[in-house]
Amino acid sequence: MNARSRPLRQIPALAASHLCHEWILTLCLVVALAAVISPLLVLLGLKYGTIQTLRERLVEDPVFREIRPTQTREFVPRWFDEVSAWAGVGFLTPTILPLSSVVQVVAREEGKNELFDLVPTAPGDPLLLENGAPVPAEGEVVITSEAARRCRLEAGGAITVRISRSRGGRSEQVEVALKVIAVLDPRAGALPRVYAPLSFVLDVEAYKEGYGAPARGWAGQTPDPYASFDGAVLLLAKPLFPIARTGLIINTGFGRIAEVSGEKIQELFGFLPPPGFAAYDLTAPGGSVTASNLQAVDQKLRGQEKVLLPYAQGIELMIEGEALPPIGLSLDGEQGTLLRVEPPPWGGNRGNLSKNGVLLQMLWPSAKPPAKEDAVAVSFAGMDGALAFNLHLTGSTSLPRPVVPVELLGVLRTATQRKVFFDKEMERFQMARGGFRGFRLYARSIDDVPPLYGKLKAQGVEVTAEVAAIERIRTLDRGLSRLFWLISLLSLFGGTSVLVSSLYAAVERRRRDLGVLRLLGFARWHVFFFPVAQGLIIAALGLVAGFGGYGVLALAINRAFSSQLAPGEAFCFLPASSIPLFSLATILLAALASLVAAWRATCIDPAEVIREQ
Amino acid sequence: MTATVTPMVSVEGLVKVRSQSESVFELHVPRFTVLPGQMVAVVGESGCGKSTLLDILALVMVPTRVALFRIDPGGGPAWDVAALWEREDEGALARLRRDSFGYVLQTGGLLPFLSVRGNICLSGRLKGAEISAGRLDALSRRLGIEGCLERMPLSLSIGQRQRVAILRALAHRPRLLLADEPTAAVDKTRARTIMEDMRHLAVDEGVAVVVVTHDLDLVMDRADLAYTFETEQIGGQTTRSVCRPLAEASP
Repeated sequence: MNARSRPLRQIPALAASHLCHEWILTLCLVVALAAVISPLLVLLGLKYGTIQTLRERLVEDPVFREIRPTQTREFVPRWFDEVSAWAGVGFLTPTILPLSSVVQVVAREEGKNELFDLVPTAPGDPLLLENGAPVPAEGEVVITSEAARRCRLEAGGAITVRISRSRGGRSEQVEVALKVIAVLDPRAGALPRVYAPLSFVLDVEAYKEGYGAPARGWAGQTPDPYASFDGAVLLLAKPLFPIARTGLIINTGFGRIAEVSGEKIQELFGFLPPPGFAAYDLTAPGGSVTASNLQAVDQKLRGQEKVLLPYAQGIELMIEGEALPPIGLSLDGEQGTLLRVEPPPWGGNRGNLSKNGVLLQMLWPSAKPPAKEDAVAVSFAGMDGALAFNLHLTGSTSLPRPVVPVELLGVLRTATQRKVFFDKEMERFQMARGGFRGFRLYARSIDDVPPLYGKLKAQGVEVTAEVAAIERIRTLDRGLSRLFWLISLLSLFGGTSVLVSSLYAAVERRRRDLGVLRLLGFARWHVFFFPVAQGLIIAALGLVAGFGGYGVLALAINRAFSSQLAPGEAFCFLPASSIPLFSLATILLAALASLVAAWRATCIDPAEVIREQ
Repeated sequence: MTATVTPMVSVEGLVKVRSQSESVFELHVPRFTVLPGQMVAVVGESGCGKSTLLDILALVMVPTRVALFRIDPGGGPAWDVAALWEREDEGALARLRRDSFGYVLQTGGLLPFLSVRGNICLSGRLKGAEISAGRLDALSRRLGIEGCLERMPLSLSIGQRQRVAILRALAHRPRLLLADEPTAAVDKTRARTIMEDMRHLAVDEGVAVVVVTHDLDLVMDRADLAYTFETEQIGGQTTRSVCRPLAEASP
């Protein structure tokens, strides 16, 4: 230590000795500071404690973290992938239509039926995990306490779920026996509900919509894609009267009828109509032509000699690296004779796509060298990626381009507009699931709820959440914070004034002693630190006394409210991080408060004061 | 007192002007010298400026004008105090005070919140040289205050306080002891013994002493040199006081 600052080392001890010597004044000052610090700490503790308790109660219950859709609309699978990746999303699973989710539950012992809501779940579902239940596997369910009460069931019991539908005027139903692996805590909801894996719930929804679930042995339709066309060419042996022509576009779904040239027919189907035939092009501008449209026209022209050939334009198949536009043509023998064209082996257009394998045929042009012996691998660019399938070569054709059943062309046209995939095992096209009708979303924490709520709203998804409850706590927190700062400011003012005046008075009282210190060899700037050291010592003592007072008061408060608190909860509680912060602020303030006295001490002129008595 | 000895304190042409409301007081010190180990008495009536001179010597009052103001504590270069004041180098002045000076006030000037031992040891601590227990014991025995070391100053008699003050002023081995009426508050007999003890101690420690007093008899036979003041009224409000060696002053 250099000689200049050596006297500085003596200052704290001198300041402490002085405070010791005037211990009654010091004690009063410390008590006054503690009387400011203790209530402030209690207030801070109450703010933290109550808010923390309220928050924890909310945080503990997943209900407050749920964001529910309020409207039924379609959510595509990609939407779920996107939203799952959002920050703050803790759990997300698709759900089904509210109507489809109602199932009958038959309790084992009683014959009584109950209507319960079937809700999908998945691993990580906080509603189940945080209410004392594991996530059910296939063949298992978790039920709410209300469902358990109505069926008089306990965990480990079994229920039979009956799913019914009406199809084609007939009522059908299937039954499934499921194991109840857990009953939820009552706080998880008051409604009777059955939580089951998503795959089961989706099969239930599909069954209710008329589809089957072969894996479960449930009968029903398969989700076949329908055939759609750009239009149809009507070939008639005799021309139509104008009035009959117009009749063909009334209530048939077609919008326009026009005569069509032989060249156009040649381009579409590879052959010219027999001489004398009238040819009309039926189209539905802005829409698609489906089997029902064709049927309607067929009905109107009953008894007349005609052939209705639907067509789809611009469909190209990739066969061994070559893009080939096939001709779609289905004719039965009678139609072939009428048009003088050899009918393909698959016969006429039945509009029915359930004929397995019939779709996947092709006639290779005899003019071209055959590609393969019996089958060609084909790739087609659908809306949702490429469709790859094999076509069986069932013969050759005199037409210039490969010929496929017109139904295949129709399905491929549909695949350009809807999601269609090819099931290789079953060798059939299937419509992919379009989307889901709802979702169950839980935020990671309650603080994530408002931003997620806002984000979904911004996407146009109408949702509801316990934003109000969370906002209430935030408002209370803000209010209490403001109150705390206001009172702090007041106390700060009081405490600082006490320190400023006391330290200043001490300097005035001890002018002569400070003068003597100067005479002994302390420089002006050494004496400056005498009141500063005193301020810091008093602040430190005041903090110790203040924290002591706080400890006693906090204990008393938490005891008094112990009946309303769960174990581990506290009404008055200070987070560990706030203690050093508070102490540092107090010490800093004390140092600031001592500056006036310190400045006063440096103004003392020893020559003036050392002879004072 | 030979010319070859370097003076410890040399002051030449010092003027201090103090004005209070309308009245002006001028102190002139044409020449003031203290040789090492010498005891110099400054004698005068109250108001003659002797305390002012002592404060200037103690480096706590700035002279209005001074031709030469040197302090040579020995064992190092001499200090040009006039230059230090010019530079307002209060740090150097404070350092000179704590390293080389001891000061005895009229009423002791002990710090009431430190014990007698704390008061005495403080000067040593400031200088950076702890006063040994043996030295403290020996000095306190010589001054007859060996039983008071743990007491607080306020519980001592005034005579005891003055002895403690002398001990504090000497304990850290200063080169110059400044004493401002150290015996003014005690009776004459006690004043003599205190003065005698201080004198002896200073001689033994080789410390130069400047003692200010109004009592010429008290110092006459002890001081090596004495200064006194000639006061005259010049003008309506101005008082001039000139400090001269006693031998020159007295006719």
